[in-house]
Amino acid sequence: MAKRTEILSQILKGEKCFDPYLFCALHGAAMTVLGVENCAVLTHGPQGCAYLVDSAFAWQEADWIETETLCTKLCEDEIVHGGEELLARTILETKELNIQALFVLTACGPEVVGDDIVGVCQDLQSRIPFKLIPIECAGYKGSQYDGIDIALDTVLRKLSRNSRKKIPHSVCLIAPQANANPTWVGDLAWVKQTLSQMGIQVVATLTYKTALSDFDNISKAEVSLLLSHDAGKKAADYLFSQFGVEQICQGIPLPIGMSNTERWVLELGKRFDVQELAEKLVAEGERMVADTLRRKAWGVSGESLDLRLLYRMPVAIIADATIGIPLVRFIFEDLEMTPELICLRSSQPYAREILEGEVEALGLNPKIVYNTDVYEVRRSLGEIKPEAVFGSNVERHAIEGLGIPFIFEVVNPMRQFRLVNRAYFGYGGILNLLELIENDFNDKWRSKERRYKARW
Amino acid sequence: MGNDIIAFHGNLQQLLEKVEKGEMVPKMQASHAPMCKFMTAFFVLNGIRHCVPLVHAPTGCAAQVSEWIRRGDCCEHRGVPLEPVPCTSLNESDVIYGGEGKLLEAVLEADKKYHPDLIVILSCCTAGIIGDDVETIAHEAKKLVNARVMAIKSEGFGGDFRSGYEDAFKLIMQLMEPPKKKRKGAINIIGYRLGPTATEIPEDLKEIERLLDEVGIKIHAEIAAGCTVEEIRRAREAELNASFCYDWGQKLGDLMKDEFGMPYSRTGLPYGLKATEEWLLGVAEPLGMNKKALDVIKRETEKILPELDYLGRILKGRVAFIEPTTVFNGPIRGLAMAKMVEEFGAHPIIFNIHPYTIKERMPSIKYLLETGVNPELILTPGVFRLGSYSEMSETEEELEKIVQGYDNVIYFGSSDRYPSCPVVNLGLISRFPRFGFRGIQNIAKLIETALKDTSRPRSRLFKEMIYG
Repeated sequence: MAKRTEILSQILKGEKCFDPYLFCALHGAAMTVLGVENCAVLTHGPQGCAYLVDSAFAWQEADWIETETLCTKLCEDEIVHGGEELLARTILETKELNIQALFVLTACGPEVVGDDIVGVCQDLQSRIPFKLIPIECAGYKGSQYDGIDIALDTVLRKLSRNSRKKIPHSVCLIAPQANANPTWVGDLAWVKQTLSQMGIQVVATLTYKTALSDFDNISKAEVSLLLSHDAGKKAADYLFSQFGVEQICQGIPLPIGMSNTERWVLELGKRFDVQELAEKLVAEGERMVADTLRRKAWGVSGESLDLRLLYRMPVAIIADATIGIPLVRFIFEDLEMTPELICLRSSQPYAREILEGEVEALGLNPKIVYNTDVYEVRRSLGEIKPEAVFGSNVERHAIEGLGIPFIFEVVNPMRQFRLVNRAYFGYGGILNLLELIENDFNDKWRSKERRYKARW
Repeated sequence: MGNDIIAFHGNLQQLLEKVEKGEMVPKMQASHAPMCKFMTAFFVLNGIRHCVPLVHAPTGCAAQVSEWIRRGDCCEHRGVPLEPVPCTSLNESDVIYGGEGKLLEAVLEADKKYHPDLIVILSCCTAGIIGDDVETIAHEAKKLVNARVMAIKSEGFGGDFRSGYEDAFKLIMQLMEPPKKKRKGAINIIGYRLGPTATEIPEDLKEIERLLDEVGIKIHAEIAAGCTVEEIRRAREAELNASFCYDWGQKLGDLMKDEFGMPYSRTGLPYGLKATEEWLLGVAEPLGMNKKALDVIKRETEKILPELDYLGRILKGRVAFIEPTTVFNGPIRGLAMAKMVEEFGAHPIIFNIHPYTIKERMPSIKYLLETGVNPELILTPGVFRLGSYSEMSETEEELEKIVQGYDNVIYFGSSDRYPSCPVVNLGLISRFPRFGFRGIQNIAKLIETALKDTSRPRSRLFKEMIYG
């Protein structure tokens, strides 16, 4: 392969006609606050915006028995005359809820007309038995990832406090929800398990089943660990600047695939001075993956892992940065395929650095598109014509007519319904990904019609 | 039965009177939020082939509707290819300086990228508030592109969910050109919304198509059930407009009658034998095809005699609780079901039709009353509870209690409910269509399934999943 001299990347910015993969800031904010336990969410906006909150509900595994999502259902009257009065009445109506906090999220309309939701919440706080937390997250403020950052910033400023004392060997996990693995909770579980095996305590997760009281402890964390390449960096920077919470595993891909997992685990081991333990975890993990594959996917006469035969196949990765960036090395090294097109849904500067570093280190020369939309994906797929796409259900249909034989659905939205959380991170994650890819590979060969009819 | 579990007990006319006086419609019930005007307008427009719905809004509005159609419905269930849902992705700067220039460029881009026959600009809340003149932009843009360009003011705050459907149908009327000729014996089915989204049930439309074909009536266009712009343009060539629903077709039918003088067969949902006969004759008579229609009705009726006999035997003297839940497509279908069970000798009681729904569907409800549909209604306090879980769990408890006060009850609704009587699961997707003669067969089968082995215990697993 020719040595690359320049990384050709394109950042879609300011497209006038943009077919988005990502929701707006309101959705991202909702996705974040729904990860806080014993709370309710009130959307101050027209009734349609409530759907953006509801679509974030299952992403955080919120339970409808415990978590109410409400809406002020603004109409023309409130847009003309202001909606503060209606907001106040609705907040008072929620008094009966048995919750610890009510997050009040604003949609575009009330922010454009200038409703002061912070003022309304301050005025009513003394009459309400739970905390009121206003978050100004109008959809036009950015994508769902911006919404996650806005919400994290607001809750950290409002709820965290400087305790000065650090808990030894402790960590705060940031933005696990900004991850397009449809069962991202599995990734979070693997991270927590690995930390626990190394004797590292998680003081807070921002956010997933986070207790309000967890925010009191955030400043006690020694380090923060960002679990996304799409969002959360601002929160990590805030924790560092306000409380001296050091950031670790910065500038490296998240732990998907053998090398990425090894590097990530060893980095943790080094920071917490448990190198030997980290090396042991890596050795055991790698052995487990290889043994499992040999026993289950390398039958002498039975089924085997067919995707090993896709050696040097040109492929495209169409994903969020969190999954898409680590997939590059996993696909290149472990699966022996060649990424020739990488389209990411976001374009955080630190994530771009990681990706471009990876591409350079691996000697790859793919076309890279950041902040992509559906049109650009289809156009680029038509231009590059890879033989397989690692993507979502959108690409399953976007490749129609392009002559691309394989689609491996690994990121949201996916066709298949999933109840059990399956990690992509770590060693178990490698097996989960291989299983997904192999099943999609086999699906391609499924006979869609019968050549003749059976007689019985 | 204690008054503590009854918020209203009367008939549809009496509830309508209360709603008209502003009683019973909670102004601030925060948790009962149907779709907004933009979403419903979108659902009509995406039923037109090669139409780009250009959403003049931040990304969330477009992403929400495309999420629905791309996750499952679009290509997986509806046989529709991946279609674009682009937006102007309005940002803070656009909010301050306006988004009209960006919108004009977006129309040009959309035309170049997607080669559509039609581009419809849908303005959402932000665009509406900052005062972007989408209609003028559409007017200017159409001089610069190959596609037709139109605009609809569909701000989410600008009306209830119904207004989006109505305004979108009204908009596409502008595409209809004066007819050069009339197609004899051809009709338009209007008010259908069958694009990539799961707004209607395709099997019901298939049954309508089948019956019309049997009579020899041609379908000129199905608006907007996957029709083309060309079909809409020539819609006035049809002899007659027909709808299948009081709710969605009515407005378009009335408007086309008033503006173009096109006759409109105003009939409702063909649930049951009587309504199916009414529907088919309502279409055939104006076309002079009455005799053929009567022949078809006779022939089809003979085919389902066992089911008709069964329904008559099994429903006679029963009390039928009908709950218009979301899984079986809402209140108008609930009222059509009430009419059907009454036809077979049952006494229908509509359980918990939300007053908000009555308010939003006022014209259809009034029309139903005019046609004599005025069933008994029971509303319980649970329907007014704050929060969707509270509403669903309390109405479940109330349903269970109220049903115990009646003899010989049968419940029509969703299997998500657990009353101590046979449950006819209208949410069962494999038993569609519900319209027409095949619908009667399917509903009979659903009733038969409900009445079989009534002592069989319900799933504790699913009940706990829903109610905790």
